[in-house]
Amino acid sequence: MNPIRDAWRSIVRRDPLSTDKGKAELIFLNLWLHIHPVKVKKENFRVKHTFYLGFITFFLFLILVTTGVALMVYYRPSAPQAYQDMKDLQFVVYLGSFLRNMHRWAAHAMVICVFLHLCRVFYTGSYKQPRQFNWVIGVFLFLLTLGLSFTGYLLPWDQLAFWAITVGTNIGSYAPLMGARLRELLLGGHIVGESALLRFYVLHVAVLPSAVVLLTMVHFWRIRKDGGLSRPVWKLKPQRSAELVSIGAPESPAPLAVAPASQDKTYGLMEVVTGKPIFETVTAEEEEDAVFSYPYAFFREGIALLATVTTVMAVSLFWKAPLEEIANPAKTPNPAKAPWYFLGLQELVSHSALLGGVIVPTLAVLALIAIPYLDPNPSRRPEDRKWANRIFTVFVVVNVVLIVIGTFFRGPGWAFVAPWSHVPGAE
Amino acid sequence: MQRRSILSWGAAGLVALWSAIGVSLAAVVRFLTPSVFYEPPQIFKIGDPADFPYGPPAFLANEKIFVFRDRERGFAVASAVCTHLGCTVAFFQSDDRFHCPCHGSVFAENGTVVHGPAPKALPWFEVTLARDGKLQVDKDHVVPASYRLVV
Repeated sequence: MNPIRDAWRSIVRRDPLSTDKGKAELIFLNLWLHIHPVKVKKENFRVKHTFYLGFITFFLFLILVTTGVALMVYYRPSAPQAYQDMKDLQFVVYLGSFLRNMHRWAAHAMVICVFLHLCRVFYTGSYKQPRQFNWVIGVFLFLLTLGLSFTGYLLPWDQLAFWAITVGTNIGSYAPLMGARLRELLLGGHIVGESALLRFYVLHVAVLPSAVVLLTMVHFWRIRKDGGLSRPVWKLKPQRSAELVSIGAPESPAPLAVAPASQDKTYGLMEVVTGKPIFETVTAEEEEDAVFSYPYAFFREGIALLATVTTVMAVSLFWKAPLEEIANPAKTPNPAKAPWYFLGLQELVSHSALLGGVIVPTLAVLALIAIPYLDPNPSRRPEDRKWANRIFTVFVVVNVVLIVIGTFFRGPGWAFVAPWSHVPGAE
Repeated sequence: MQRRSILSWGAAGLVALWSAIGVSLAAVVRFLTPSVFYEPPQIFKIGDPADFPYGPPAFLANEKIFVFRDRERGFAVASAVCTHLGCTVAFFQSDDRFHCPCHGSVFAENGTVVHGPAPKALPWFEVTLARDGKLQVDKDHVVPASYRLVV
């Protein structure tokens, strides 16, 4: 009898990892790892297919949760203490400045990575049947990411925070009928003040992160149910993208779903159900490409995690998160800018508040949600979907150009300036 | 039990369920709306009339208002909050206009929009003489730009 070995075997109940059974059990006997399939297809882990953007976004979220909880220890969400706590974090608290830098830069990176991930999924046509709804969940995760970043922006209670939120929430108040009411609910008043700070804090540390966690779980779960990470387009067989068959009860007029035609073997629930399962099928040939998730997938995900953490840490060592003077409602900095990811909107708003603040963003979000349902083309091949890609590229480029103009080319009075020109008196 | 009564009980149950959900949502919205706003008062005193010289308007930063005093026509108070996105405008004596730093809106001396994205004119607030002889501004009471208090 060896109590230590017994204790160890009561925790780790799988076979040794040198065996195939052990490799499989490592995953399906583990609560955290069993989001992975036991086996993965090698091509799906090729960097040039996904750039690991989904993984990186998730890892950034983990960094944000970890550093965020650490920052909460020294932060009081009331004015003016919030600003004093920022100063403490910057100059007094051990590692405080570094943790705050990490939190800030990871937040910006997450906004960028979610958007790039969305672009990748669009260009590879990975939102198509049966993944339409997962795309919609992804759009909501993107909006939640913006919400998290926006609510976090106010918390330092400096001039940048105060005026960015003043401008940002006023943009929202242009929504017809309930815009002003929504702003009042969000701010807990009519001005950006103490109650606004507290509400943004509650949203930032409790409400929105919970929503992100819930939706992320559904997002990952759906990926598994829909056949794992999407197939690289170059691995698709010609008939897969061209031919479609209806599945469901043969006599039923409406098919349960439409799936690629295939003679392939399918994996499904061993229950009496009508028709084939709706997720993708796997051919015997493809099965040969499949390898155990351990160590193949874990190794690659581990590299992505290390690269993400290292990059954020390196950036945080060299670049400080901005902190301006304490919030002063009486003094508007010139120019007063919203957070950078809203500067495209602010650029539009500077021409027309209703257009830029309400109509364009609403239509853009609705269009993003509707993409998988409006796109009638079943093919995922770039050569079959030139127009879809062109339209989406225009959408992306317009967004980027507007943000670049708002960030670099707008000076005092929102006048057009060259980014390298020094404007006297500008803050 | 008859089919009719099952259906009607079911319908009544559904109506009750949805009503309960509706009432709960309304309660949530009401809960989120503060009963008391701990914000600066909308009616406040700004000082003695003699504190304000003739000439360019005085800017009161905390109250976000401009106090105009005209030799013939008396006192007037304009909002300093841009009607576009809430930034604080500045009054430029060089052209007798209000300029917003955020998006370049320009307002004429009477508050009307001259240029830029601002959707409406700067509002003017009622200014009265309180019993103690101080000037009192009521931000909830918007008056025409021609309004003047003669002291």
